Amino acid sequence: MVAVEIERMLRLAEQCLDRAKSFIEKSSEPLDPTTSTSASPDPSVQHQTTVCAPAAGSADGFVDARNKGTSPTKPGHRRVLSDGARELSPFLPPEVFQRLQTVASPDACRKELTPIEEASRLNQKLKANYEARLARLRPGQAYQKTSLTLSLQRQMMENLIIAKARQDALQRKMEERRLRLQEEANRRFAASGAMTAEEQEQRLLYTNVLEYEQDHDWPKQWKAKLKQNPDESLVSDLVSYLLSRSDHPVVKMLRKHQYRIYNRLYPLVIKGAPQSPALPLRPSRSVHSLLHTESNWNPGRTAGRGVGGQSFSIDSSASSTHSHDLINNYSEDSEGEELHTQVTVYRENSFEDLEQFLFQLDWVPPVGATEEPASDSELSRDRSIQPEQDEGYIQGLEMRALKEHLKDIVKDIHIAIDQLLSLCLLSFECLNTAIFKDLCLASIEEAFFAPLWSALVALFRRVHREQEQAFVKSLRLYCNATPRDFGVPPKLFPQDPGALQGSYPYESAAQELKLILQDSCPQRKLECIVRTLRLICVCAEDYRCLQEVDSTPKTAAIGADDLLPILSFVAVRCQCPQLVSECAALEEFIHEGYLIGEEGYCLTSLQSALAFVESLCTAGGRGRGGGHLPVENSLEKDLHPLNSSSSSM
Amino acid sequence: MSSAGAAGTSNRTYSFKVVLLGEGCVGKTSLVLRYCENKFNDKHITTLQASFLTKKLNITGKRVNLAIWDTAGQERFHALGPIYYRDSNGAVLVYDVTDEDSFQKVKNWVKELRKMLGNDICLCIVGNKIDLDKDRHVSVEDAESYAESVGAKHYHTSAKLNKGIEELFLDLCKRMMETAHAEERAKGNGASQSAATRRGVQIVDDEPQATPAGGCCSSG
Repeated sequence: MVAVEIERMLRLAEQCLDRAKSFIEKSSEPLDPTTSTSASPDPSVQHQTTVCAPAAGSADGFVDARNKGTSPTKPGHRRVLSDGARELSPFLPPEVFQRLQTVASPDACRKELTPIEEASRLNQKLKANYEARLARLRPGQAYQKTSLTLSLQRQMMENLIIAKARQDALQRKMEERRLRLQEEANRRFAASGAMTAEEQEQRLLYTNVLEYEQDHDWPKQWKAKLKQNPDESLVSDLVSYLLSRSDHPVVKMLRKHQYRIYNRLYPLVIKGAPQSPALPLRPSRSVHSLLHTESNWNPGRTAGRGVGGQSFSIDSSASSTHSHDLINNYSEDSEGEELHTQVTVYRENSFEDLEQFLFQLDWVPPVGATEEPASDSELSRDRSIQPEQDEGYIQGLEMRALKEHLKDIVKDIHIAIDQLLSLCLLSFECLNTAIFKDLCLASIEEAFFAPLWSALVALFRRVHREQEQAFVKSLRLYCNATPRDFGVPPKLFPQDPGALQGSYPYESAAQELKLILQDSCPQRKLECIVRTLRLICVCAEDYRCLQEVDSTPKTAAIGADDLLPILSFVAVRCQCPQLVSECAALEEFIHEGYLIGEEGYCLTSLQSALAFVESLCTAGGRGRGGGHLPVENSLEKDLHPLNSSSSSM
Repeated sequence: MSSAGAAGTSNRTYSFKVVLLGEGCVGKTSLVLRYCENKFNDKHITTLQASFLTKKLNITGKRVNLAIWDTAGQERFHALGPIYYRDSNGAVLVYDVTDEDSFQKVKNWVKELRKMLGNDICLCIVGNKIDLDKDRHVSVEDAESYAESVGAKHYHTSAKLNKGIEELFLDLCKRMMETAHAEERAKGNGASQSAATRRGVQIVDDEPQATPAGGCCSSG
């Protein structure tokens, strides 16, 4: 009942905020270009907005995966997204993010009233009674009215005074307790002489923990339970229970860190989305801007679209239709299916693909796109020669800045998780053994990354944009390639396509790998990669047995010589450029202990396979003059030095 | 943290990463399978088959966990080597004694490993398939003198006859333990713990540490 009410109020507040924001942005827009042109060399800004669209989280399946990832833990997210924010941007503004943090926790609203609050509630009741009685009085009874009024005033005053006294006493008691607990904390950390700021903070946190434990019984109960039965499953239960108590210092710290990190990520990833339609004041220098100058400056269309802090509505709605036409022309022969099925998210996609289109324009005139954009693109290319060099330079600078940001954020995340873990261990000393600590860390990480991963990976995608582009190019070239094209020995995949009943070799591994997008915790993602590689081994074993019916099955096992080609094939079939960035992020967050183990090996192998796929488009596509080489031929030449080299060299 | 110094070595488990390099048909897969698949514990074979293998050893009372990383030998994957062998403590470079070309490939890898990892990595050059000695194309002297010139040890093995493999890995482990010790002494006590943990040289048993995963990143 109360929760529904609060949710409604929150939504209302949110809408107000967003409306206000869109107004502010609208009114500041006309100023924006002039200030920025004088302040910075502008051409890049426009280019950048286009270029980074995919980074803001667009590629196929990204949006879906994110929703699935966040919804089980934070039911609040989905609600807001479905209310409209999702259509404009996959990322919530930090203020909303912060609000959702507290809304999501079930016990956030339960709070005891202070004595003063209680008294004022009581007084309200008295006053209501008094008014009711007053209404019942007949007109002649003025004397009684005065007496009623006086008695009400006296009662109310008394209530307040009593409440005040109680409140003061309570406060004194709390203060005394806090001092006592502080002393206890001091004793706990007595060993160190001079206090650093860090130690001071730790003492403060410990005091908070003690205070919490005075108010709540469950920590004691859990500690006793764990002492009685030190079981691993109990540890996970404890930590997840702990993380569900929103007023516990650990959870407060978690919220604080998450919000801080999100606040840093947000401006970096939201910039990737096409935002301010401030095009016309700049000289047209790309196909994109040429196409959109006429349709862009149409303020009427902004109205009511600025939900979520972005007002890129004109720009995106106008360009999506245009660019979609372009893509349709272009994609007829190459990557049709992928695009046409994704109409719902086509705004982001169209940007990605438009960008792709531009990228290709620079090298090879596309065969299919002769009717509309040919003359435009000629025009724009002529004009663009000079500025493009600047753009390259500025893009380089921007990329360097982004990389720095990424490095800092990764470092901050590590620090935050370390702090959370140590506070957790401080609160529950019984968890401080090697195994329990690992479990504890796993739970903390899961809670920590769940709401952050999509924004985090969006930043990784901006930084790894070039690799993803190369990967996409290779995907288009080799999407129909067979395992043989990747150098997989014939005995490791079925020679008769009919045997697969409509699927392709190693499909189960590719399907498993796709699931990686659905998790939002690094550890889970690593497990997914390990499962993928294991499935590959299982499939390979099956395929071999299928062909070597007579020989003994245990003749040889698969080594890296076989694994890597198969994995490359699987990565291509997975059709997911985001894998590149996901792996880069996993590399940062994999635990030390897993680095040289099976998890580390699997991650390394996948990264190698991805790098190999990326390299295919530069190796295989260099000589092509506009059209597409038959995939088989180009790969045959590229991919089989193995067969010839061992004999010839 | 300072207790992790030279004094408390007895309760320590060493974790070593060893990369396996060699051209396609030199028999490196059979070599490691032979090594890890002995009759006492066949569960050493992980679900990743011969690509990634682990082996637990007890050498002079010290526990050693070996993680053996197979790499793809094909030329087209050559550029991807560095991400496989970073942080490795040892490398086993296998060639086929009947195939001169495979020995040349080993030389290339040695050059690259030394360039990337310096002298911290223990190298083993392994001439496999000595059961085919009559077809030998790489002379024993050439191979051994080359190994010596690059600070590597040379071994002769036959995966088919299960010859020389046990010795090869035991020797390698001892050398990696020595290197780890030397590294530790050079560093002194607790000075730059972060470098050691990142390289995954050793894990101290049952010692609660304040900063686990990612702790190294907080320092720089």
